Amino acid sequence: MRRSRRNAEALAARVSAALRRRGLDAVLTGGSCVSIYSEGKYVSGDLDFVVTPDDDDRLIAEALAEVGLVRSGRVYSSPDTDLTVDILSPPLSVGSEPVRQVIERRVRGNTLRLLSPTDCVKDRLAAFYHWRDRQALEQAILVSLACRVDRRELRRWSKVEAMLPGYGEFSLALARARRGRHNTG
Amino acid sequence: MTTMGSQMTNRGSRRGSAVLRPVLGSALKENLLLYLLTHAEAYPRELAQVFGCALLSVQKQLAGLEQGGVVVSRLRGRVRLYQLNPRYPFRRELESLLLRALEFYPAGERERRYVPRLRPRKAGKELRP
Repeated sequence: MRRSRRNAEALAARVSAALRRRGLDAVLTGGSCVSIYSEGKYVSGDLDFVVTPDDDDRLIAEALAEVGLVRSGRVYSSPDTDLTVDILSPPLSVGSEPVRQVIERRVRGNTLRLLSPTDCVKDRLAAFYHWRDRQALEQAILVSLACRVDRRELRRWSKVEAMLPGYGEFSLALARARRGRHNTG
Repeated sequence: MTTMGSQMTNRGSRRGSAVLRPVLGSALKENLLLYLLTHAEAYPRELAQVFGCALLSVQKQLAGLEQGGVVVSRLRGRVRLYQLNPRYPFRRELESLLLRALEFYPAGERERRYVPRLRPRKAGKELRP
């Protein structure tokens, strides 16, 4: 299976469904949400799920085996795809705050639960704020250009994280990206 | 000749204080977290030397903390460096708890182990406490 946004989303939805059938809640987070919201302008090879509860490794492994994924080190993978699945410990959070709203998407008959576009941008900004990761900043911009995000909420959250200067950098970079898109469009 | 018994004694003498063991469940875990808090980052072999314990014990604790999102790691050259995860949702509370715990450590141990020397020292010059 080729690494693409559609394949990643379909596999994520199958993983999510297999976990839910065993009573486990799974929410997709990280770079894969960027892939989905940016319509594939960025493609991640990692499907990061926060699974609740996460204390039964056997049950999680059983669910992932159902979709052809086996444990390989700390992640789950398959010879049929170069996508890997990583199970993260709860709580589902962005920075120091819990995630309060999760989006549900129907994908090929399965329901995928994932971060909202605004929380996805927060998640990427957290990486930019704390590690100065410019790729994460670019991803935050891609999602902000493609989706409706709550800028007031992003600013409030950045303030709570004591990262208002970083939010200023993001705002400037986003304005530049908007101008660039307008000029080339 | 160093016997196994004296090695164990030496290792034992380097073990750190631990006041949060009832909460964290492990003295080594508390020591590792405090070291990462006060030194910003460290590698497993360094931690095993500082606390006089087996490298595998350190690696196991770090793996558990990383799986739980409490610490993160990255490769620099061939060394894996660990740090407290700045994105861990309870980071501030954990840091406050650890700093409060540190106040109960003996002053000598606190200064020797948890006040890092940051200024440079020329190669070849002996490092003194």
